[in-house]
Amino acid sequence: MGLGLIIGVFGVLFLFHAAYSTIQYRGLLKIMDEEFSVPSMNVVLELLLGFVFCVSAALTVPGDFLSIHPDSEENRIVSLPSNLDFMIFNHRAKALPFDVDMKLH
Amino acid sequence: MTGHSDSSSSEKKSNEEMNDVPVFSAENMQNNMKVIYYSRTFMSIIGGVIAGILGFTGFMGFVFYFLVMTITSIGLIAKAKFSVHLYVDSWNRIILDGFMGGLMSFVLFWTFAYDIVHIF
Repeated sequence: MGLGLIIGVFGVLFLFHAAYSTIQYRGLLKIMDEEFSVPSMNVVLELLLGFVFCVSAALTVPGDFLSIHPDSEENRIVSLPSNLDFMIFNHRAKALPFDVDMKLH
Repeated sequence: MTGHSDSSSSEKKSNEEMNDVPVFSAENMQNNMKVIYYSRTFMSIIGGVIAGILGFTGFMGFVFYFLVMTITSIGLIAKAKFSVHLYVDSWNRIILDGFMGGLMSFVLFWTFAYDIVHIF
């Protein structure tokens, strides 16, 4: 997940840089009295690169798919002891003869 | 008194027919739905920002949203290693789930980015 997060941050940074350069491009066009029709080519390339990075981050960061069939290979072990309803704390082990000090004489 | 246990492989039935009922692990299904929802929401936001930067207005923006959602669906199917029936119970979940909610986020970030880049 760490690598996916870094790739996602880079994708968002590319998007911000593309937005900033588009703002500057519009300012330039205003000075030259032209209309904004098509964004410049490097902005389009940078947006495409940022989009690819963000797609790969969106598919890896949220986590893996888990199989939903109960009899598939990775669902074999049922972790029943972690269920609080079945934990017993008041059982007969307190009657076992465990002496506290068992020193080696 | 048995409580409502939430153990790791609790099962629920998904049809009304009494014979041949498919049984799924509900917790894993919820996890898969969560993953799909997060992926779609993030891609809607990113698609909105890109549509705003590129200066799309009107119908072109919605066409772009549809394109981004299609790419996300293909990506999710590829993440499920093309055997989708192992992870979700019907095709609609991996293709259509989160479409409308993503549309709201898309339009929000689209107008936001368009205003910042092209108007102010």
